[in-house]
Amino acid sequence: MTDHDYDVPADAPAYECAYCDRPFAREEWLALHRGLDHPDELDDDEVAAFRAAYAEEEEELGTFRLQALGALVAIYFVLLMIYALV
Amino acid sequence: MTARRRRVTAAAVGSLCWLFAVGTASAHGGSLAAGGRESLTIPTWLFLSTGGAAVGASFLLASFVTDRSFVERVHSWGTPLVDGGVRIPRLLGRTVGLLGLAAVLVVGFLGPTTPRTNLAILLVWVGWWAGLAMTTYLVGNSWRVLNPLSTLALVLPSLDRDYPERLGAWPSVVGLLALVWLEVVSPLADDARLLATVVLGYSVLTLAGAVVFGRETWFDDVDPVERVFRYYGRVAPVGRRGDGSLHLRLPGIALSERRLVDGADEVAFVVALLWVTTYDGLVTTPGWRDLTTPLVDAGLPAHLLYPLALLAGFALFLGVYRLAVRASTRTAETYLAPDELAERFAPPLLAIAAGYHFAHYLGYFLFLAPALGAATLAPFADPVSVPVYQLPGWFGGVALASVVVGHLLAIWVAHAAAFDLFPSRLQAIRSQYPFVAVMVFYTMTSLWVVSRPEVPLPHL
Ligand SMILES: [Zn+2]
Repeated sequence: MTDHDYDVPADAPAYECAYCDRPFAREEWLALHRGLDHPDELDDDEVAAFRAAYAEEEEELGTFRLQALGALVAIYFVLLMIYALV
Repeated sequence: MTARRRRVTAAAVGSLCWLFAVGTASAHGGSLAAGGRESLTIPTWLFLSTGGAAVGASFLLASFVTDRSFVERVHSWGTPLVDGGVRIPRLLGRTVGLLGLAAVLVVGFLGPTTPRTNLAILLVWVGWWAGLAMTTYLVGNSWRVLNPLSTLALVLPSLDRDYPERLGAWPSVVGLLALVWLEVVSPLADDARLLATVVLGYSVLTLAGAVVFGRETWFDDVDPVERVFRYYGRVAPVGRRGDGSLHLRLPGIALSERRLVDGADEVAFVVALLWVTTYDGLVTTPGWRDLTTPLVDAGLPAHLLYPLALLAGFALFLGVYRLAVRASTRTAETYLAPDELAERFAPPLLAIAAGYHFAHYLGYFLFLAPALGAATLAPFADPVSVPVYQLPGWFGGVALASVVVGHLLAIWVAHAAAFDLFPSRLQAIRSQYPFVAVMVFYTMTSLWVVSRPEVPLPHL
């Protein structure tokens, strides 16, 4: 995972991983990355940050799933109506 | 989670069946050699939108699968088949390859001149470019062993000159485009003598290259044919590990692996492979004829039109892909360099190329396979009629379905690659928005080409 190339804009916020130097645009993503890629090296605070970020993401995913379901239903009915009309 | 997953699976199967039913009932495209295809019974725009919507909908369905350990389990599933060092199949494979090359050269120069009875033509187009290529992505890459030029290069001396590293895979990109241009514009499928001459020329060039730069370098970096088969082989369920042992995996799954495509040159090759399969079909559509007739009438020489269109289309496909990569770095708000994303999300396109190749060549292969069998048994006979297999009417549906299946596989593999690349699952899903838009564009293009009636190559 350490051989990535990065492209960080000069004025953008960057949260760098202390273990592999990978930069992230959001602190939660850094917390998630630490938990996923360096699980054995974390201290208690970092573990807590990972858990919190994971729970928050789970909530956002719930919202996303509802939107995706809505889009699926919309695609289905639009096509159904078109097929009924054509 | 399980209940949700079951619902998702049921919905996916349902929407697929629906699409197959639509495809089967409405279109009889794709069977190239058979001719006499019926036109669509639903308007083209609706047919294309349905295909595009199916790809978009399958992305939404894939985005419901957010369980990282489930994705990893699917992708790490596999079982070893045989370990390295099996020598007898390799010797047998090499012998078959050498016999094939000898047959193409001997029968090509000395055999009958009717295309459908000449073993050289049937072996190259039906047996190799249609049949063997299909087994490469459906089963595994056997060309690595069969390749007669690679076998011949074993016994040749090597000067081991340094291959210029900065050239990378670019010569193979140029070679692929050149080969497809030659295949499209010259009567290589009609003139056995010409075909044998081209095969001989290609063999001499390849062997000379292998002598100068060394066999490994030439076939790993430069030879476009070897690279096409190697890339198609990555879609296949049977793969080869670093130690030479064969193992079984789920089809297409290996496309999500890291470092499968390395560098802008290899990305370009993947996009070129996708483009040439499209181009091959595109130039025999009535739409192409109607579009280019004014240009030719206005004085554009036809022998310039084809290479120009080949290059312009490649530039368009590559440009669209690069734009998608740029857009993806923004939708995912990632600091990974665009090149990283370009490399990681290029291999899924190989599943699309394979699906399109299958759509394009399965009918052709089945139709002419009996003729190939007859010519193999009696290579110098020139019978008045050759056996062919008449495809059933529902066959066009298979072609359309394989285009869609290739895209579904690509969507899933890109989904898995994104999960591996980004720590946030929502970020991974968002990184795919531009690629899904591009895939919808590719699907609609491919479905359009596959559903058109085939006309003779215009202006030549
Ligand atoms: Zn790290």
